[in-house]
Amino acid sequence: MSSTIDRLTDVFRDVFEDDDITLTRATTAKDIAEWDSLMNVALMLNVEQSFGVHFNSSEVSGLKDVGGLIDLLDARMGAK
Amino acid sequence: MTLREQLFAYFAEHHPRSMTGVEEARAVDPARFDQVAERFLSWGIEALGQDFLKLSADAYVTFSSDVILEQGRYELRGRYTNDSFEACKASVYHDREVMDEYLWGVYVTNFLWAHHMELSIFFEDRFLKRLPASPKLVEIAPGHGGWGAWALHNRPDATLQGYDISPSSIDIATRITKAAGVSDRATYTEQNALDLSALPEASADALICSFLVEHLEQPEQLFAVIGHVLKPGGFGFVTGALTAAQIDHIYEFKRESELILLAEANGLRVVESLSTSPRRILPKAKELPRSMGMLVQRRTQNNW
Repeated sequence: MSSTIDRLTDVFRDVFEDDDITLTRATTAKDIAEWDSLMNVALMLNVEQSFGVHFNSSEVSGLKDVGGLIDLLDARMGAK
Repeated sequence: MTLREQLFAYFAEHHPRSMTGVEEARAVDPARFDQVAERFLSWGIEALGQDFLKLSADAYVTFSSDVILEQGRYELRGRYTNDSFEACKASVYHDREVMDEYLWGVYVTNFLWAHHMELSIFFEDRFLKRLPASPKLVEIAPGHGGWGAWALHNRPDATLQGYDISPSSIDIATRITKAAGVSDRATYTEQNALDLSALPEASADALICSFLVEHLEQPEQLFAVIGHVLKPGGFGFVTGALTAAQIDHIYEFKRESELILLAEANGLRVVESLSTSPRRILPKAKELPRSMGMLVQRRTQNNW
C-alpha cells in the first residue's frame, strides 16, 4: 500500500503537470513555482477527491508545507 | 515605504502564495493601483490603527481562499452551496466576527483582485465623472463603505444616504467615512433596502449598489428599488457576480444579459457595462467567474 507521501506525489504531479516533482515533508510553495494561492486550492480539491476527505477553508488557506498536509491527512484518515 | 509597499512586503513574508495575484492586480494600471491602494489603506489605518495592514492582508487571504474553494466546489456540484437568504443569515450575516473579517477582505479586493481593480477604474472614470452638481447619492448595501467614501472624497459637493441590513456593515461603513473625513456628508441607516416604502421615490441623483444582487433570492426586487429611487435621468453604478461562487451567493447569474434585462424591466437603461474576470481560473474549469459593472440610467422616456 502506498504511503501518504507517495499518493500525494501523484496528486502534485497531476495538478502541476510536472512528473519531476519529488516531495519531502519540508516542501513548500517556494519549491514549486506554480504553487500560488489559486493552485493551492486546486491542489487541495484534488487531494480531497484522491483521499476521500473534506477540508475546511482554514485548513486550505493555512497549509504551510507538505508535512502539515501529511499530518492533516493522517489524522483525518485515522479518524475514519 | 508607502502603505502599498508595506502591504506587499507583508504579503511576501507571510503569504507568498498570494503574491502572484496581487502583482497581477497592480499590473492592471500601476499608478492607479497605487493611488487606490494608498487611499483605501490609509482610511483603514485611520479607522483601525496600524494593525490594519496585517488585518486586511490576512482577511484578504482567508476571503480569497474561501472564494476559490467555493468556486471549486461549485464546479464539482454544479450549483452554489446555498440557495436561500436564511441559510446564509446565521453563518455569515449575523456572525459579527465572520462578517467583520469578510468585509475587510472584500474591502481590499477592490484593488487587490485584478478584475476588481478594473471595476474600480470603471467606477471612477465612468460613474463618478457623470455625477451632476451637488449630487444626492443613495447607496444600497454599502457593506464596507469604501465605494461611498470614495464618491464623497472625489466629490466634496456630494451627500450620501446608505441603507444596509447588517449592523456590522453600518459600523464599518461609518468608520470608513469618518476616516476618509467625509462623515459629515454620509448617513447610514440599518434597514432592508428592498423595502420600497423605506426609500422615497425619485430621491436620488445617483445610486451605488455593489455586489448585492447575487445575494438575493429575488433579484428583480433590487432593480425595482433602483428604478424607484433614482430620479429620471439619474445614474447608478451597479455590480453583480456571474457564475462566481461564494458561500453567501445564492442567485446564479449565468450570462450578462440577465442583469441587463432585469435593469431594463425596471425603468433603467444600461448605458455602459464592463464584464471582467480573474486573470487565472481553476484548471479544467467549466465556468468563468465574472464580475459585471453596469452604468445604468433611469429612463425619462419609454425607451431611453
